[in-house]
Formats: sequence, C-alpha cells, structure tokens
Amino acid sequence: MSMFPAFDIASSALTTHRIWMNAISDNIANINTVKPMSEAAYQEKFIVAREIPSAPGQPVGVGGGVAPVAVQYGDATGTVTYDPTNPLADKDGLVRRPSENLGDQMTNLIIAQRGYQLNLAVIDRAKSSYQQAIDINGR
Amino acid sequence: MAVTPISGIMNAAGMGSIAPVTPSTTAAADAANSTSGVGNAFSQALDSLQGTQNAADALAQTAATGNLTDIHNYTIAATEASLTTEITVAVRDRAVEAFNEIMRMQV
Repeated sequence: MSMFPAFDIASSALTTHRIWMNAISDNIANINTVKPMSEAAYQEKFIVAREIPSAPGQPVGVGGGVAPVAVQYGDATGTVTYDPTNPLADKDGLVRRPSENLGDQMTNLIIAQRGYQLNLAVIDRAKSSYQQAIDINGR
Repeated sequence: MAVTPISGIMNAAGMGSIAPVTPSTTAAADAANSTSGVGNAFSQALDSLQGTQNAADALAQTAATGNLTDIHNYTIAATEASLTTEITVAVRDRAVEAFNEIMRMQV
C-alpha cells in the first residue's frame, strides 16, 4: 500500500476509463467496416469492469479501485445490407455492416470522458489535501 | 546503537541519588524493532523517497521513448515523488527545529 492510496485508486479508474475510451474509439473506427456474408460482422466491443476488493491492511470497506477484467463482443450477425456494387457482396448482393449504433458510442464516449475527468479531479483534490497536511504548522 | 540510561547522580551532598531514566516499555519495544529510533526511521523514509523518485524516473524514461501507455501513471508517480520529498523535507525541518530548540535551552 502506498503512502497516497487515493492516487492508486484514482489511477486504476483512469486506466479503466482510458481502456474504455480505446474500445469506443475502435467501435467508432469500424462503424463503416463492411464484411462479406461468409465472415462475422464487426462486433462492438464492451469493456467489463470490476471493483478491486480492499487490500489487506486497508480499512474495511475501502476498496482498491476498479479494473477492466474482460472484453465482451456484440452481435456477429450485423446488419445485412443489399449492396450489389460492393466488391465483398455475395451472389445475392448482400454484405454485413456492423449493427452498432453511433449514438450509443458517442454517449458512452461522453460518459468515459467525464469519468476520466472526475478521477483527475479526485487526484487534484487529494494532492492539495496531502499538501495541506504537510504544511500543518509549517513556516 | 544501544542507548544506555543516564546513571543517577550519586551521593551529592544532601541529595539522594536520582533514579536512572529507564525507557518506557513501548519505547523499548520500538528500539527492539529498529536499531535506532529516529535515525532509522529517517533512513527508511529516505529509502522510500528514493523508491518513488526511481519509479518516476523510470516512467519518465518510458514517456521519452514513447513506451508510456498511461500518461497519468507518469504524472501521478511524479506527484507522489514530489509529495514524498515535501514530507521528508518537512520532517527534517521539524527535527532540526526541535534539536535547535533543545540546544537553546539554558543550562
């Protein structure tokens, strides 16, 4: 356990939100990715986050923050679209487009960004609190 | 370093001997855990300060070489190093202050 536990906890949350933003970025990057019918469509990525239980020596109830534990994938069927001019189209002129929704992605992006900012604010407050504790009766 | 208690002043005229100063049981237990109280605590604090500085330096190197995956890891490590330095300096200042205060005592 470090001397500044609030930093470690907020840092774990920053890492988790960064990974979430990476996943959203990947989802948005592949929003127009077309796949042939013989392959699975681009599957939307979801990050599964878990709380880190309190470490031994920590006060009961104070956890260790949050950690990304897994990636889950969305629908592999995708949206089957009729697009006969597409070079990937099969004999019926069908291709798979991702079934993800850009509105959801942008909403998640805002949530992830706000979560990141919140934890930066926690670090900022924690730092000034620790600094004030150091300055007790200082000259 | 073992601290030997001050021996009592023996048989000054008209005065009984003063009982030697014995360390309290908790202080004795602390002394058993660490070889020397304040000095050892301070050197441990310096070691942990060195540790935080090394961690921040290593992350600064990864940032310079483009291998840093989490920007906040470096900035937080640098903040921890700077706070630990501030604490160490504050502790040193208080210790020196206390020492000076004792040295100023009229004898």
